[in-house]
Amino acid sequence: MGNTTDKVKILTAFEGIPNSRALATYTANGGYEGLKKALKMQPAQIIEEVKQSGLRGRGGAGFPTGLKWSFVPQNLPGPRYLICNNDEGEPGTFKDRYIAELSPHMIVEGMVIAAKAIGACKGYIYTRYEFFEEIDWLETAIKEAYAAGFLGKNIQGSGFDFDLDHYTGAGAYICGEETGLISSLEGKKGQPKLKPPFPAVSGYLGRPTVVNNTETFAAVPWIMTKGAAAYKAIGTEKSTGTKLFSIAGAINKPGVYELPLGYPFEKFLNEDCGGMLPGRTLKACIPGGASAPVLTPEELKGLTMDYEAIAAKGSMLGSGAVMIIDDRQSMVELMKVIADFYHHESCGQCTPCREGTGWLANIMSGIWDKNGAENDVDRMWTVAKQMGGRTICALSDAAAMPTMAITKKFGDEIREYIRRGTSA
Amino acid sequence: MSSQQVFSSKLQEIIKKELTRYETKRSSILPILHAIQDECGWVQEKHIEALETAHGLNRVQVKEVLTFYKAYYQKKPRKHPIQFCDNIVCCMMGAKDVMEKIEGHIQRLEEKHGENAPFEMIGVPCLGVCDQAPAMLVNKDRHHKVTVDNVDQILSKYAPLT
Ligand SMILES: Cc1cc2nc3c(=O)[nH]c(=O)nc-3n(C[C@H](O)[C@H](O)[C@H](O)COP(=O)(O)O)c2cc1C
Ligand code: SF4
Ligand code: FES
Repeated sequence: MGNTTDKVKILTAFEGIPNSRALATYTANGGYEGLKKALKMQPAQIIEEVKQSGLRGRGGAGFPTGLKWSFVPQNLPGPRYLICNNDEGEPGTFKDRYIAELSPHMIVEGMVIAAKAIGACKGYIYTRYEFFEEIDWLETAIKEAYAAGFLGKNIQGSGFDFDLDHYTGAGAYICGEETGLISSLEGKKGQPKLKPPFPAVSGYLGRPTVVNNTETFAAVPWIMTKGAAAYKAIGTEKSTGTKLFSIAGAINKPGVYELPLGYPFEKFLNEDCGGMLPGRTLKACIPGGASAPVLTPEELKGLTMDYEAIAAKGSMLGSGAVMIIDDRQSMVELMKVIADFYHHESCGQCTPCREGTGWLANIMSGIWDKNGAENDVDRMWTVAKQMGGRTICALSDAAAMPTMAITKKFGDEIREYIRRGTSA
Repeated sequence: MSSQQVFSSKLQEIIKKELTRYETKRSSILPILHAIQDECGWVQEKHIEALETAHGLNRVQVKEVLTFYKAYYQKKPRKHPIQFCDNIVCCMMGAKDVMEKIEGHIQRLEEKHGENAPFEMIGVPCLGVCDQAPAMLVNKDRHHKVTVDNVDQILSKYAPLT
């Protein structure tokens, strides 16, 4: 499913290499060199290097990684924890899975480096349970890393200790939200917790905890080996480095692509991905997972794939899940699918989210079943507007944003469907 | 009931290991429920009871996990549960038609076998393989690019469709 291009390969460096998941293959191709370097550095130096690289969290929010690590209080006695968010639940996203398939040791190495930086004694990789094979690959990598002295006591003779274990989720999208994940890891319902306190101060078991996305960790070894300046030289000024994009829909070559941030969208779609399937035309694109507001072909013209450019169009790069919507797809159906999803996955703690997602799903069902009323679009707007910014986690916003964007940009199609009981 | 009466010796071994694997005992609830389900197919009242009496896991806490997470079966599933992705990309790529076809098979099989019908199906959110859409899980097997044309062939490997 990966797609070799002539571009710089950091996260996909092991594409096409036989037996790429094995430790021997990994070390024969420069693996764990970044860790060896980091083990000789001071924690503050590692954090500074990651800050300088400009690396931003690849889980969705794009928060600067080095800065997040620097929030961990260094003087507090007692354990600190490190968690890899490998829940990959955002609809349209299938990139973290690809890293586990190609080079699980890249994730492990990134985590040990991060652990050294924040002084963590223990880490977990949290993976959604449906990734049966991927979990095997990760657990094997952890075992291999222990046997080779990259995990455990006195790593590579450096005096640094770090234990890593794997934890399997149980089918709840909300466990991708970092505090929901922490609740789940504590053996509880995966309900998000009110912030502040942020996990960096009080996370797993009330201890300082850093949660990063799988892809974020996987970028760290390269940054350590090649240096922050080399990473920063790729991408744009504010969106540095490369990013994995998982692209799917009615196109010729769906899959995972590693692109330098700032890559032109049209080039990506038409050249790298071979364009639309024969006979289909581009109707819209969701550029960053289910919660990213939809963009029209007009808005996609000249767009570049970086945090700033997509935000400037009123959407977001998110997890890098690009969903291509073609002319045959009804926007009413699309909205119904999205509304049902968020309604189903709301954990129910906050009234605006629980009630709001319920209302949206209800109204959409009515419309889809041809019982829509002319003012339903306005009603959805009214509901969606009350869902933002007032809840424990961002799921409520994430549910409201796509609804508002689709009703705004494809309002005519929806009204027409309501009037005639069919999609144009 | 004692642990020996309820759990196989293999399962008892796993439970004992999981209980001390994490910082707190409570964290072992999810992995233990996974292990029980892997062996027994679903999580039963007697399991919860034995986890409390023999292994000291609070039943309220266990129940809370069991009911919150959708991976766990609280009643006996049929032989081959199907989890079909009905999310954005799979929907765009024709999931609804395939699901309708499977529903048809299930209805027919139910008429013949009642609750002993070999399949049941639920729609699930994105399975994280959208480039291979439409996607489904049958038991723990992931199937890609499932279409109205190839779905019968895939399912009949598990059980006859007639
Ligand atoms: C509802 C919801 C679901 C999320 N799902 C995921 C996910 O599946 N994987 C992930 O890495 N981050 C997910 N996030 C983002 C995490 O909360 C968190 O920001 C991220 O793991 C931090 O890592 P990063 O800084 O490396 O991006 C989700 C957030 C929300 C609000
Ligand atoms: S916003 Fe929704 S999903 Fe998030 S904590 Fe509140 S109710 Fe739960
Ligand atoms: S939408 Fe079906 S696998 Fe992602």
